[in-house]
Amino acid sequence: MTTPVYAVENLIIDLYTPTVSVRAVDGASFEIHPGETLAIVGESGSGKTVMTLGPLGLLPEGVAIDMRGTARADGRDLVAMSQSELSAMRGGEFGVIFQDPMSALNPMLKIGPQLAEQARRHAGLSAADARKEAVSLLARTGIPDPADRYDRYPHELSGGMLQRAMIALALAAKPRVLIADEPTTALDATVQAQILALIRQIQKEDGIAVVLITHDIGAVSVLADRVIVLYAGQIAEEGSAIDVLTRPVHPYTKGLLASVPDFRSEISSGTREIPGLPPNQTKVEPGCRFAERCSIAQPSCLARRPTLLPVGDGSVLHRAACPVVLNAQGVAHQ
Amino acid sequence: MKLGRLPWAILSPAITFVLIGIFAPLLMTHDTAQQDYGALLQGPSASHWLGTDYLGRDMWSRIIGGARTSLVAMVFVLAAALVIGVVIGSLAGYIGGITEMALISVIDIMLALPSLVIALALMGVFSGENFTWMSDYWKMILALTLAWWANYARMSRAVVVSELQQPYIEAARVMGASHIWIFVRHILPHVLGLVVVYASADAGALVLAIATLSFLGLGVAPPVPEWGQMLVDGMSYIEEYPSLVIIPGLALTAVVVSFNLLGEAFALQKVPKAIRGSLLRRKKAERAAEDEARRRVEAGA
Amino acid sequence: MRRMFLRRAGLALFLMLAATALTFAIVTAAPGNVAALIAERAAGAGADGEMIKRIADELGLNDPLPVRYVHWLGKAVAGDLGESLRTGKPMMDEFAERIPVTALLLFGGGVIALVLSIGLGLWGAVSNGGVVDRLLHGAALIGASTPNFFVAAMLVIVFAVGLGWVPSFGASGATSWLLPWFTIALFPASVLARVVRVNLQEAMSRPFATTGFAKGLSRRGVLLREALPNIAVPFITTFGAQFTLMIIGAIVVERVFGLNGVGAFFIEAIRFRDFVGMQAVLTLFVVFFVSVNLFVDLIAMFADPRLRRARRA
Repeated sequence: MTTPVYAVENLIIDLYTPTVSVRAVDGASFEIHPGETLAIVGESGSGKTVMTLGPLGLLPEGVAIDMRGTARADGRDLVAMSQSELSAMRGGEFGVIFQDPMSALNPMLKIGPQLAEQARRHAGLSAADARKEAVSLLARTGIPDPADRYDRYPHELSGGMLQRAMIALALAAKPRVLIADEPTTALDATVQAQILALIRQIQKEDGIAVVLITHDIGAVSVLADRVIVLYAGQIAEEGSAIDVLTRPVHPYTKGLLASVPDFRSEISSGTREIPGLPPNQTKVEPGCRFAERCSIAQPSCLARRPTLLPVGDGSVLHRAACPVVLNAQGVAHQ
Repeated sequence: MKLGRLPWAILSPAITFVLIGIFAPLLMTHDTAQQDYGALLQGPSASHWLGTDYLGRDMWSRIIGGARTSLVAMVFVLAAALVIGVVIGSLAGYIGGITEMALISVIDIMLALPSLVIALALMGVFSGENFTWMSDYWKMILALTLAWWANYARMSRAVVVSELQQPYIEAARVMGASHIWIFVRHILPHVLGLVVVYASADAGALVLAIATLSFLGLGVAPPVPEWGQMLVDGMSYIEEYPSLVIIPGLALTAVVVSFNLLGEAFALQKVPKAIRGSLLRRKKAERAAEDEARRRVEAGA
Repeated sequence: MRRMFLRRAGLALFLMLAATALTFAIVTAAPGNVAALIAERAAGAGADGEMIKRIADELGLNDPLPVRYVHWLGKAVAGDLGESLRTGKPMMDEFAERIPVTALLLFGGGVIALVLSIGLGLWGAVSNGGVVDRLLHGAALIGASTPNFFVAAMLVIVFAVGLGWVPSFGASGATSWLLPWFTIALFPASVLARVVRVNLQEAMSRPFATTGFAKGLSRRGVLLREALPNIAVPFITTFGAQFTLMIIGAIVVERVFGLNGVGAFFIEAIRFRDFVGMQAVLTLFVVFFVSVNLFVDLIAMFADPRLRRARRA
């Protein structure tokens, strides 16, 4: 198998502010290979963004971060990297699309020159070539009249156009991994599908790896090859998109899918909410974090953290962290 | 903005200043005006703790007396400016229409010059023959009050206008509450909440203004002890006896620093503070203990 | 934006008129019998009722206040602010002599405050909670709390008396300006350095700063390229406010260092009850204050692309 372009193992991330301490990521592992699209799903606050962007040092300033575990990009250890190496990694190997392009693009800077600068730094282009490259990037992301948009400020573009510009910015340095953090959440419904289609097209054309962070199951079904379901900083289930979406094992995954309206899946018989609220993650406690909301929880669930165990034997490993279901199905291995 | 959450360490210097001002007569060892030509410009000694000035007056007693002078003037001006400002600002905000426009214009005009420049000009006006019935001290308090109220008025009006848009005001009105009742019961507390907090931070600027007026020879007249006055007197002896300048200057700076600390504590309540140092270490230790507890539970299960 | 500017300019003009009218009313009406004062100055103790009455008639002091204001305004617009009761010279001549001194003081102090505040604010942000940041925070607090006459005294004690590097008094050569400049700059520099620091911190916690990191910029790069442009508007606005407040600094500093500027004249006018001089200086201050604010609004508008390009949308 190829070296994963981005991989973390046993990642634990604690966030500290003067008032709260949060265990945002609690021993999660994932890896992504070139050309693959990995979706990371979960409710807001489940640690999706922290798990993906934390090892790259892309969490907002003002929060103290304590990270343990390993994180590698292309086999290189991100944790041991110096600040400047990490900066180079962020500006080269990785491209990031953020949730709300209105606030993620600097209101004081023109769109085009930022792209040109990225292109220049990455490929050592001349100023004129960099400008051409920037305009073609804008054109490639479907922005009409790109030469005019080059000199525009963010407030002069619509939300959808801004997200396209954001994608162009993420692509400017020709990354090997594109991380899309809730790329459609802040957009109008009609624009959402266009942006997802654009991401898919780019992924196909460039063959880059895409990490899609989302709580939109529809987006997962459109884009993802593999899915990781995150609950309270722990991975509940992972596997191919087909397996996880159509044959979910973990009670949380089932609940999550059942709560999606119109999702065409065998378990979807009208929408249902998962009872209860997600845990606040301010305390580290033993046992399965989902147990208190789980309809099939047993006393043993509170005593021991469930580990991910294989389900079935498809070509893409399908694993779930629920011994109760797995034992009942008789598929747990010892 | 809540007073209750401020650490006492920030409040304590300001409180000390207030206490010194209140108990000044007990702390003074000499009459502040008593001249002693046998003991001019002396260094610190057992009888004169901070030495004496060019007229042989006791520096310690004059510093303490100066604290009282500043404190009394400051409290009078702040209280009066606050009352005037709140009344005018609230009237403007509550009545609205032409009254509001007119009052806003007056406020804007008052804010078209730095408050201290207005106070200086008023001191000039008050030196005219129509005002000889007032002592210099009260002229200064009046001038500063007239120069100082506009900011409070502007703030009060802004609070009143924003509170009037809250749904609960409409609800109270529907339930038949009178204007006075609505204002006193619902709006005034918000106005005072903001204005009093601002005033506590503004106290430093006012102490500075009082000293500046005296320094320019337009405030408190000798022999009343006042820090700005002491400093300007000391300027003539700055080469040989810099302590005459440094002692009142440091007293003044210390008081203003303490009030400004208070103001900054209020201002920075909105800004998220990063966690670091011992607090962060403690939180990490708590977390490590939780991890260890979980490990033990899970090992036992 | 053009309409916005015209509105501001109109408001500024109204403020100038209203503020000069108010100062005129207070300064000329309240203090008592100006004619008697003038007669006294002219004839010493020998001024009699006859002479006072003649002067009052000559100056139109018996006219109603609005008439006198309009009269004064007409002359002021034509460049005649009257003659100082103290020096007897036309106020315009006094200003011609003294405005350059005050302007040089404000300009030098303004430049120092500008450079120091941006430099130190950035330095603190680079340090971000480190020793430098905390030291600068403390220094800014003390700088914004120390009366400028005490600052002047301390600078004189250290640099003029102690080290003998610069003259302690008067305007003679370039070095004589250094102490006045630094004295007048300390307060605005301290306030502005805090504004820079706090706003940079705020900007660094915004999503576009994270985007900056994602682009591969170092922390310093994000500070300079992403955060710094975003503090332009609050900085410019506060700088304008601080620059106008430097009038107070000028009044004090001119007095301490024996500079013959407008501030020093103002204090003399107040002490000698030179109401013509006071009114002239206050008018000058109002014009300065209101035009600086107008200018600052304009610059802030240009600094923010959202406002600058509003007309295109």
